[in-house]
Order: sequence, then C-alpha cells, then structure tokens
Amino acid sequence: MASLKDIQRKIKSVKNTQKTTRAMKLVSSAKLRRTEELAKKSKVYAAKLNELINEIAQKMCESESSLSDTPYFKNIENPKVVDVVFVTADKGLCGGFNSQTIKRVNRLIAKYKEEGAEVRLRAIGRKGIDYYRFNAIDMLDQIAGLSSSPEFEKSSEFIHEVASDFIAGKTQRVVLVNNGYVNMITQAIRENQLLPIDPSQLGIGESCSPSDLELEPDDNDTLLEDLVKRYIEFSIYYALIDSLAAEHSARMQAMDAATNNAKDMVNRLTISYNKARQEAITTELIEIISGVESMK
Amino acid sequence: MEFFKLEIVTPGGVIFDNNVKQVTLPGSEGEFGVLAGHATLVSLLDTGVIVIDTVESKEIAVAINSGYVKVDEEKTLCIVDGAVAISGDDNEIAAAIEEAKELLKSAETTNATIATAVSKIEKIKG
Repeated sequence: MASLKDIQRKIKSVKNTQKTTRAMKLVSSAKLRRTEELAKKSKVYAAKLNELINEIAQKMCESESSLSDTPYFKNIENPKVVDVVFVTADKGLCGGFNSQTIKRVNRLIAKYKEEGAEVRLRAIGRKGIDYYRFNAIDMLDQIAGLSSSPEFEKSSEFIHEVASDFIAGKTQRVVLVNNGYVNMITQAIRENQLLPIDPSQLGIGESCSPSDLELEPDDNDTLLEDLVKRYIEFSIYYALIDSLAAEHSARMQAMDAATNNAKDMVNRLTISYNKARQEAITTELIEIISGVESMK
Repeated sequence: MEFFKLEIVTPGGVIFDNNVKQVTLPGSEGEFGVLAGHATLVSLLDTGVIVIDTVESKEIAVAINSGYVKVDEEKTLCIVDGAVAISGDDNEIAAAIEEAKELLKSAETTNATIATAVSKIEKIKG
C-alpha cells in the first residue's frame, strides 16, 4: 500500500495534468472556430472559381480542342510514377489524427507498388515527416510549419513544383491525402486525385451550350490553363485549412477525453487515499487501546 | 445612372460585395472600365489597382496581385489571389497602402507596374 503522502502527491500531479488538458481543449475549440470561419470564407472562392472554369470549359467545347487533350486533364491509365501529397499536423496530442493519415498513405503506397508504379512522397506537416524519416523512407519534398498556419502563397509555391513535374511528365498522377473536418466530433480521411483533373469533379458536363462569352486574352487554352493552375493551388490550400480544422476538432476530443480520464483517476485516487487514512487511524487507535489495556 | 453588382473574392474571403456605378480593372490586355450592362466577358487581371466608383460617388481603390474577372450584364465578379482594400480613416489608409505596396511587390512584376499602381492609390487617397 502506497503511503498517504505518495497518494497525495499523485493526486496533485494528475490534477495538474487535468488543468493542462482542459486548457488545451479550450485553446483548440477557440482555434477551431477561427479555422471554421476561414474554411467558410474560402468555400465562396472555390464556388466562384468552379463557376468560371465551367463557363470557359463550355465555351471551349465549341471549338475543336477537347478538354482531355489539355495537359492538366490528360488521364493516363496505369501511371508509372505517382506522387502522393499528404497533410499531417505539426503537433501531436490529437488522438489518431496523424496516424490515420499515415496509415492511409501507407496503404496507397502498397497499392501503387502492387500496380508496379513508383511512389514519390511529398509531405506537409512535421508529424508525417518525422514518421517517414524514422522509418527511413525517402520523401521527395517535405515542408513543416505550413499545416499549422496555412498560407496561400506558400502552399501555391509548394504545389507549383508538383504541377510542373506533372506537366514535364515526371509523374503521371498526383494524389492528395488529408484528414478532413466533418463536424465537431467527426473527421474523415480524404483522398483526392489532384492531377490529372477529373472533369466530373469540377462539375463539367458533356453538355455544350454556346455562349457569347468574350475572352481576353482571346485564347481559350491560356485562360483555362491559368484557371486550372489556380484551381490546383486552391485545392491544396483548402486541404490545408480542412486538415487544420480537423486537427483542432480531433485535439479537442482527445483533450476532452484526457480531462475526463484525469477526473476519474483523481476520484479513484481520492478513494484509496481515504481508505489509507482510515486504515492509519484504525491502526493508531488499536495501538492506543492496547497500550491502555496493558497498563491496567 | 444604373448600378450593377460588384464582387471581389479572394481565398481569404469576400472583400467587396456591393452595388457600384463603375469599376476600372487592370486587364492583362489593358485597363478597362465597366459600366452596368457591359457585354459578357472573361479576362485575366494583371497586378494593379481596381478602382471602384461607388453609388455614393466615392472612389475606392483595391490593390490586387493577379486574378480573373467575369463580367456580365448585371454582375461583375473578380476572383483574385490577394487583395488589399484602401478605405477607412487616415490611419487605416496609411497602413493599407503599406500593405498594398507589399502585395504588389510580392507579385513579381516590373517596377513600372508597381509604380503606376502606387501612384494611382495615392491619387485616390488625396
């Protein structure tokens, strides 16, 4: 049986942990609200961008060139080289958030290897980088510090390299894996094919409605290419925001669970402290009584 | 005078959404003005300044790095990468101008473009 003092010390330490986890939960919930706001705002941008791409795509189908001939849309069956871009958090203490993403990435690697494709990893977020470095798996590109504070410029820079590799034919497919935010208590892994772009994903239908839309510069390809570039840039930026929101909600949950566990532990420890105290008192009483008895 | 709706959207959110009299845009093929009832048009936007003539006949400048504009009869929609609106009281304007200069510089364009844009901003401010 642990001594009274030991138990007391333990209770105090658990209570301190509880304070920390509770504070972390509060911080995460505040940050989550902010990130949610950000996600809402950038959704507007995505919607408008989609609208514009759609219109230009429709305009394009009047002319001879078809969408699947443009470099960003060119789909190759059985790709030889696949780039996997994945987003993890920079920090831990958020439950299974990072390991879920990593698991999915590992599964993807296995899947493409089976198909005979070479997989190149591009990591965003310290946790993912640490994992693959520890396992001595090479990463083509790694960037830390971006997932905790998404910035449009930085993420565009990152994705530009990916896009130019794709255009240069160094890779035939780019897949984006990130953990996404569903609601306060659920996160879901998202796996999207970033390149080549799937026209149906943009909502570009087969329908062709001629419009009297004027284009400036009067060159469909330049405009569309630029728009598509922007679309890709935005996709990765949105993935970062989505992942950040998910990270905060995951951390909130994890910290909530930790706080509750700490509470339970304090309760259990208090009971054993009380028992030990009672025992000590009883022993003392017996000693006193037997002492008195022996004096008689 | 007819008005039309102008929206300026960045990845960080909508920064302008209101009825306006006229808007001047830095198109890639040259600057152009839009009034209500303009023909449908999509254009690339260069680094520069969007000048908005509001319903109250006030001028607002918005510095942008690059983007798109889609004009149709009743609505004009700008989709830009980065934008800084120059409005508010004097202190805010001064800060916004600094921010706008930074944005323009980061856009990797020629100094001439930046200089034109900055001078335009300063003209409107005064």
